[in-house]
Amino acid sequence: MPAPIRILTAVPICDGHDSAINTINLEFIRHGIEVVYLGFHRYVSDIVRAAIQEDVAAIGISSYNGGHIEFFADVVRHLKKLGASDIKVFGGGGGTITHDDAREMKRKGVDQIFFAGTPLTEMVAYVKKHYAKPRKARAKSNVDLTLARQLTEIEDAKGKVKNSKSKNSKRPKVIGFTGPGGAGKTTLIDELVLRFLKQDRQSRVAILSHDPSVVGEGALLGDRATMINSQDDRVFMRSMATRGQAGGLSPATESCLQLLAHSDFDYVIIETVGTGQEAMPFRNQLVDQTVLVMNPDYGARLQLQKIVMLDVADIVVVNKTDLDRAKAALSEIEHRLTQNKRDQQIVATVAKRHRDAGVDELFELITNSKSSVAAVSDRRNRKNRRSETAATSRKKS
Amino acid sequence: MSKLGAVVEAVGKHEQFVRDQVKRARSDEKFARELTERWNKFKSEIPVSKTPTGIPLPRLALPEIDEAGEIARYLFGEGLPGEFPFLNAAYREMYLEPLQHNEQGSFKRSTSARSTSSNGAKKNGARPPEEPTRLFSGLMLAEDTNKRFHFLSAHQRSKRLSTAFDGPTLYGIDSDADGVFGKIGEGGVAVDTVEDMVRLYDGFEVGSPDFSASMTISGPAPIIMAMYIAAAKRRFGNGVVPNLRGTIQADIFKEVQAQNETIFPIEASLRFLLDMIEWTSANMPRWYPVSISGYHIGEAGSTPVQQAAYTLSNGFAYVEMLMARGADVNVFGPRLSFFLDCGLDAEYIALARVSRKIWAIGMRDVFGAGPKAQLFKLHTQTSGRSLVAAEFKNNLTRTAAELMLAYMNATNSCHSNSADEPFTTPSEEWIRLASHAQAILLEESGIFKHTMNMLSGSPGMKAVERAVEKAILDEFREIESLGGVMGAVENRYQRSQIQNAAHRYEEQIYDGTRPIIALNRYRNGSDEMPEVELARTPRSRQQLQVDRLKKFKARNAAKAQKELEKLAAVVETDENCFPALLEAAEVCSLGQISGCLQEVVGRFRPMV
Ligand code: B12
Repeated sequence: MPAPIRILTAVPICDGHDSAINTINLEFIRHGIEVVYLGFHRYVSDIVRAAIQEDVAAIGISSYNGGHIEFFADVVRHLKKLGASDIKVFGGGGGTITHDDAREMKRKGVDQIFFAGTPLTEMVAYVKKHYAKPRKARAKSNVDLTLARQLTEIEDAKGKVKNSKSKNSKRPKVIGFTGPGGAGKTTLIDELVLRFLKQDRQSRVAILSHDPSVVGEGALLGDRATMINSQDDRVFMRSMATRGQAGGLSPATESCLQLLAHSDFDYVIIETVGTGQEAMPFRNQLVDQTVLVMNPDYGARLQLQKIVMLDVADIVVVNKTDLDRAKAALSEIEHRLTQNKRDQQIVATVAKRHRDAGVDELFELITNSKSSVAAVSDRRNRKNRRSETAATSRKKS
Repeated sequence: MSKLGAVVEAVGKHEQFVRDQVKRARSDEKFARELTERWNKFKSEIPVSKTPTGIPLPRLALPEIDEAGEIARYLFGEGLPGEFPFLNAAYREMYLEPLQHNEQGSFKRSTSARSTSSNGAKKNGARPPEEPTRLFSGLMLAEDTNKRFHFLSAHQRSKRLSTAFDGPTLYGIDSDADGVFGKIGEGGVAVDTVEDMVRLYDGFEVGSPDFSASMTISGPAPIIMAMYIAAAKRRFGNGVVPNLRGTIQADIFKEVQAQNETIFPIEASLRFLLDMIEWTSANMPRWYPVSISGYHIGEAGSTPVQQAAYTLSNGFAYVEMLMARGADVNVFGPRLSFFLDCGLDAEYIALARVSRKIWAIGMRDVFGAGPKAQLFKLHTQTSGRSLVAAEFKNNLTRTAAELMLAYMNATNSCHSNSADEPFTTPSEEWIRLASHAQAILLEESGIFKHTMNMLSGSPGMKAVERAVEKAILDEFREIESLGGVMGAVENRYQRSQIQNAAHRYEEQIYDGTRPIIALNRYRNGSDEMPEVELARTPRSRQQLQVDRLKKFKARNAAKAQKELEKLAAVVETDENCFPALLEAAEVCSLGQISGCLQEVVGRFRPMV
């Protein structure tokens, strides 16, 4: 079976008309397409960065609040500037994009505009016809472009790693986040990213996030849309569909992680899909630290005694501790961890809260723990390399 | 149980109460006599107007019943217009043309029987009430919109303006920010500063009882409200504040659920909103500081039932939160208003009627609200989404049918969409026709001006009422089981329900289940797009907005810095921050203020 087509969809800045794109996303995933959805009210630079990192074949833009001729053209121009003009641009905006507009937009490099009244099936057919072709190698490349393409190759070859030689003696710290759906993993990670970025001016963070999908079907990869701090050139984020594998990760995760762990990042964060109580997703040594994120309301769905990750996690985060049940949950979990007699940490957070002290504490735990202390000794060496990346990435914005 | 569960129970109890009254009217002779006498007396006092051909018509039509049980069912179950539970109308008299000298006088004023306008009813019909027509408009810069306002209201007795803002303004972003240039003045008016606000309503007496302004903005609503007040003060002095009349949308829940213009985290947004509601309820007694809106939910593709259920439950959630802060339901309750969509689906025949009833019962029986706080005061907009590009002149007919439904539901004010809706902010040609459609319905035709409820209460309407009411209460139960409105919001419940409904809607268009004339039926065979006049903001206008904003910022730099620091300090505390916003609005731009607030409370994390 050929690898699924991957596209990215988004709505322009100052525009919240997402009804059309939501409908189109649903239609695409029903027809086997993997859609990375970036959400509404998005800047050109955020869209282009995401498209490159996600290595999609095309960007679909749904625009209603005017200014579409400039906006679409900006996206095309930006892609070209970054050496990614093989990523195609298409879209629609109901009656707000006239035939004349569309002609001008096509002249400026847009592939196709779908007018009001186009059946959904026609759009699916178009994407399948035009965006399924194998991707050609790029003439010009940079760090993110190369990395993104390598990840695609790994993913589409179903997990075979190309011999990725480590250029670094010290690899980044890899932190694995897991936990049941709705516990707030994505929000927590995004809040940590804010702190990583504020900590210094160079370090880069990679995020590998997962959403469930079934073999041969599409997937909606939507984590990126809810992240506000991770829309930054110093963050490399990649969304993966599980493509039928149970347990919270994709068949290609391990190899992708290996590649990222040998790339130029200070931290690599991996986020599983929402997991059940038996799950223990991180089986390799590549993860330096595991964080289990729980919701104080776990009682309804999980039995504490059966949560395997509680025995293996290095840090257990009880998020949403503003909920009524938080106190009880914290003491139950703490009790359970004491019985384990391992050096496990427990942190109470309210990740959705701005400047949450619990998230600060978690950040401290992650950045000051052993492996990152070791990394500090190597900091000068890394800094040099980092300023190179920073320079290239600054050029992008 | 959250209060929503209690509302479901209260509605059930009320139904039981009505059944009991019917039974009693049929068994208790004295009660039956009282009811019948009241009914007959009321009926005999209904004023009568004459049509141009001389036919006498009652200003209010009542069902032809004389059996006490049926009278009880009507009086308790539906209520006369202006009486609990307000199924028929919020007020006793609406839409009626003034009586001529030789006709019988109108109802006397009572607390529950009022005209929409306090001054309209003053001289007993001598002066007509406010027109319900209120057209949403905004384009390019403040001067351009001001011109449109004057064009639209030139023939109105009362000036009821409704303001559409452009994208950057809706998102609290300044026109000079990176990446938004092309969006300036598109789809609405660009407002960055108090000076734009002064230009926007230039030439209108904003403190006059004949003027009211509506502003469709929610994410940065408290900031824009503060700018509106600051502009009014500049023009008319501090004394104008208590006289300001109008509405600001400000409804944050529906932003998170459907319109996607939230800019602060939900809790912080709610705090700013409640601060504003408390301040305006106390200092601007004639202002409506929130318009609890289903329109955007409906347009995002929800079913009509979802629209009503989410809107009502959002409203009840605000009441619960305000009361938890110690606010008095009888002070803020009368200042809440509502905004619903009206499309062509059968549910719309009674959606607003049922909403009025559920609101009144919930407010009275769950929150202990008095009569004024039980009213579901409603603005309706015809459905934009029902208007299509293919042979777009058909949109005139669609809007006309929707207008009819809206007025059959006794809406208090109404916007009718222009036929060029799918393409652009309307041109003068089409918005004029849209406005005329309402005048034709209300002034030219005899459908509403002689008898306010000419078309209400048919068996079909009642069938829809029953089905819709049951479905709304089922939705309430679902939301309740998710922990109430906040819990459901955090679970993306409303969003995912709306998205699924929207997908189904589009599917039904393309599989033909939903006939859309000239789109999937009776096509003319051509895919030509019509020539319509587009309202696009020239680059030179956009540049002008940027330039004058920069000058404003330079001129006020020092003062702005001080005000922003003060504002940030207040936001850190639990104090009401609206007074600090009022001061900041004098010298700071919208983007400066929203940026300052985001520094303290963070940014909204989008829900998709
Ligand atoms: C629904 C709607 C809303 C809803 C949006 C809900 C939501 N979450 O999406 C609400 C009520 C909230 C809303 C608000 C506003 N709206 Co509005 N809205 C519309 C409306 C009625 C329909 C758009 C729609 O979703 N149609 C359904 C889709 C499925 O069909 P379609 O548009 O025909 O698109 C087809 C194709 O083009 C294609 N397509 C579309 N996008 C894409 C993308 C890709 C990748 C592909 C392949 C295909 C494709 O798929 C569709 C199926 O064939 C239009 C008018 C109209 N009738 O079109 C105005 C309209 C777009 N809105 C408009 C405006 C101005 C606004 C506001 C700015 C008003 C204001 N000042 O407050 C706000 C801004 C909201 C925001 N946050 O940005 C204007 C834009 C004017 C302009 N550009 O000149 C319009 C045209 C109305 C008007 N005439 O004034 N709006």
